[in-house]
Amino acid sequence: MNERLTEQKSIYLQISEMIETDILREILLEEEQVPSTNELAKLYTINPATAAKGVGLLVDEGILYKRRGIGMFVANGAREKILAKRKAAFAENHVAPLLAEARSLGISKEELLTMIGERNV
Amino acid sequence: MSLHCENIVKTYSGKDVLDKVTLDIQTGKIYGLIGRNGAGKTTLLSILAAQNPASSGSVTLDGQRVWENRKSLEKICFSRELNANAESGLAAMKAKEYLRIAATYYEGWDKPLEERLVKLFDLNVKKKLGKLSKGMLSMVTIIVALCSKAAYTFLDEPVAGLDVVAREQFYKLLLEEYSSSGRTFIISTHIIEEAADVLEDVIILHEGRVLIETDTQAFVDSAVHVSGKAEEVDAAVSGLEVHHPETVGRSKGVTVFLKPGQKVNESRDVSVQPVSLQRAFVALCGEEEGKS
Repeated sequence: MNERLTEQKSIYLQISEMIETDILREILLEEEQVPSTNELAKLYTINPATAAKGVGLLVDEGILYKRRGIGMFVANGAREKILAKRKAAFAENHVAPLLAEARSLGISKEELLTMIGERNV
Repeated sequence: MSLHCENIVKTYSGKDVLDKVTLDIQTGKIYGLIGRNGAGKTTLLSILAAQNPASSGSVTLDGQRVWENRKSLEKICFSRELNANAESGLAAMKAKEYLRIAATYYEGWDKPLEERLVKLFDLNVKKKLGKLSKGMLSMVTIIVALCSKAAYTFLDEPVAGLDVVAREQFYKLLLEEYSSSGRTFIISTHIIEEAADVLEDVIILHEGRVLIETDTQAFVDSAVHVSGKAEEVDAAVSGLEVHHPETVGRSKGVTVFLKPGQKVNESRDVSVQPVSLQRAFVALCGEEEGKS
């Protein structure tokens, strides 16, 4: 929750991704309350409507849920859900740009695989 | 509740400073009013607050005209940029007295908040306004705006002269007050980037006319920067609203404003990058001859 905002992406997306990352890192635990939109607004100095939009996205995906009159909570199984989602997006978000850069540098597939093989995951 | 102005025209010595401005200010939003120097921002705010008569057009609050209407005016606070020079007559007034006058004017004045802010800003209220620095004068206008508790509060360049820490404090205080009260704020500022994330809606005033009045995020998302080899860029943005072209040798960069459903042709060899509110504003208002 204490990452900085950047200009490269819509703020509400960054808010939802930061909450997700905190759930992945177990900074926020399942069935635990997440900061309110007003708290998020003040922390990041952003409009509460923007914070609400980011939180709303996670509610739509079933990662957070609302307890009436209390606030937002991390849903059971949220961590698994985020893991699955991020894995599904990994090829597109990380492998594709890696291949594009390799192509423009003339790095062959074999060279690339060797480079990956030399590293520890 | 809503504050509405219709076809506001303001003419100063034969020149139209505002040209048929129509706006619907909805309750419970933070609006940003941005525009270049001389765009008419202060004039517009002073007319909305009935501190300055329009040459024609009307301002209404819940259907009632606000001009000389005490009931409506109690709900509106325009905390002007203080200019404590000798002519204004304010120079000899102590900050304390200025705040006391504001407190008598606004029924809902929040005295505890006033005390808290004076302490937070470390403002010496025994000093005369004429002896305060620009930043300290801004603090006084911020205190008036926040403590007035007016349903509609306008701040004109509230962060002028404030250092970066005080500016951040101001935005946090504004959000705190906004979250707890649901008041409506219109804030004019030249320091666009810092304010961008706080503003739910943005109003762009250019040469007396409203160019844009929309959700800030939607406006920022509609703008992209496209760059690459000039021919590729031209092909990628053909048929789109293009602003602010810049070329260096064979390379070209443009800012494009996309209408719903429009897209940059990414099959061309170009880079497409998001732009900030400030860049979008500069592209729109910064270079008349750049329009195509």
